[in-house]
Amino acid sequence: MMRIRKKFLFYILGLSSAIIAASGTTVDTYVSSFIRNPWALCLSIFLMGSIVTTILTLLLSIPLNGKAIGSRIDPSFNGVRLLRKKEIKYHIVAGIGNAITTLAYFYIIWLYNNPFTPATILAFSQIVIIYLLAIESITEKNAPTLAEVESATIVSFGAVLASISLKGGINALGIAIVFLVLNPSWALFSIYQRKLKLLKINGCYNDAINIRFWNILFTTFFTIIAIVLVDHFTGENYFNAAINAFSHWQLLALSMAIAFFSYVLYIRALGLGKASVTQAVKSSTIIFSIPFSFVLAGITGGTIFESSLHALIKIMGIVLVILGVLSFALTEVRGYIFINVKPGYSVRKMIEEIWKIKGVTSVAAIAGSYDIIAKVRIRSLGKGYERIVRVLEGIKEIENFKWHSILREWEEV
Amino acid sequence: MIKAYILILTYVGNLKSVLKELEKLENIDSIAVIAGDYDIIVKASVNNLEELMELTDKIHAIKGIKRTNTQVVEKEIEI
Repeated sequence: MMRIRKKFLFYILGLSSAIIAASGTTVDTYVSSFIRNPWALCLSIFLMGSIVTTILTLLLSIPLNGKAIGSRIDPSFNGVRLLRKKEIKYHIVAGIGNAITTLAYFYIIWLYNNPFTPATILAFSQIVIIYLLAIESITEKNAPTLAEVESATIVSFGAVLASISLKGGINALGIAIVFLVLNPSWALFSIYQRKLKLLKINGCYNDAINIRFWNILFTTFFTIIAIVLVDHFTGENYFNAAINAFSHWQLLALSMAIAFFSYVLYIRALGLGKASVTQAVKSSTIIFSIPFSFVLAGITGGTIFESSLHALIKIMGIVLVILGVLSFALTEVRGYIFINVKPGYSVRKMIEEIWKIKGVTSVAAIAGSYDIIAKVRIRSLGKGYERIVRVLEGIKEIENFKWHSILREWEEV
Repeated sequence: MIKAYILILTYVGNLKSVLKELEKLENIDSIAVIAGDYDIIVKASVNNLEELMELTDKIHAIKGIKRTNTQVVEKEIEI
């Protein structure tokens, strides 16, 4: 065990996941140039993914010095385990989300019929950060602040510019698939993986390795159903095509092994930050994919920059992504509030009332010189006054409270 | 499992050395430097009150600490 600043850990996990994902993107592009059919590619990737993920999860379950090897990647991991009842509904939604996302992703690659041109339309999948922000503002306690909306917009637009291609076309069908299928299913996938990570199993937070393991099994199951239906209605035999695609098993296995480690780190990061912010950090994959793209260009004979204008647009996009991620990292204020409740009022009711305040991340009833300690996380002190201090001042049961801003924090990981 | 917040006030100029000593202790979930009536807030998880006493004893033994105030958690809700 080590103690590290939580914010650092979050960015280390997010960026590490992005670097690994960048190498995976290169392999995926390479694979899709061999297996052209999107349905066959999608199914073969998940079938191979199930095998690779199972092997990796079992290897990481081997105990070493009394602890599973995988606990070095996620300290909550104690070995592969069966699903708990409360996890199943989340895994069903995350599995469906992942299956639809991947099918839509490969369908777009197929639709644009060339591994290099789908980049124009796929660039708009980066807008998923804004989808996540919108979903969080509806479903979670933490509505986005102006600073978060600004940062998310900067990262999203930067990511679109950094990943766009000037060669590919944009049409209504492509845009509709990205905005109505790919992005919503991706957002669903991220939100439900986060919900899984925040679930407590035997008193500890759920571990990222089991989440990824079960997600792949559920996703493969839903992909099989989707392909069987497609085969049934179109009269094609994509299922067999997927099995035949196993002739490229080495590439498929490499792609899914990379995806495994990238997702495990991403899921861990999801447990520490909001899904939108985690996705924003993950979008730096675009920056890290550049050196890998150089390697791929060397192998396939392609180019990274289509023209000097394309290079300029890409660089501007990268600058925006870096600025957006930095502004996410720098605009956060945390604090503890010590509260005394007037005699005769229920502390139990008060902690429930304080828990409802936006920005409160934990609240505890305590025995000591104070009655309640609340921990808050907001984007600015001004927001803290508006959203928290003014609300507390309005609660008549509170005798007094003291705000202590956190200047620096370390947490056990 | 018993959780507790330990509020620490240090003598001026001793914050860094106190933090260094706190980092060596077991059973601590988080350490935060705060601005207000106290300088440091430590969140600890122990198995029983005996262990909490051992931990607070170790904290009291750190040079540079002026006062501590231990608050035992009765009920907690967190994200």
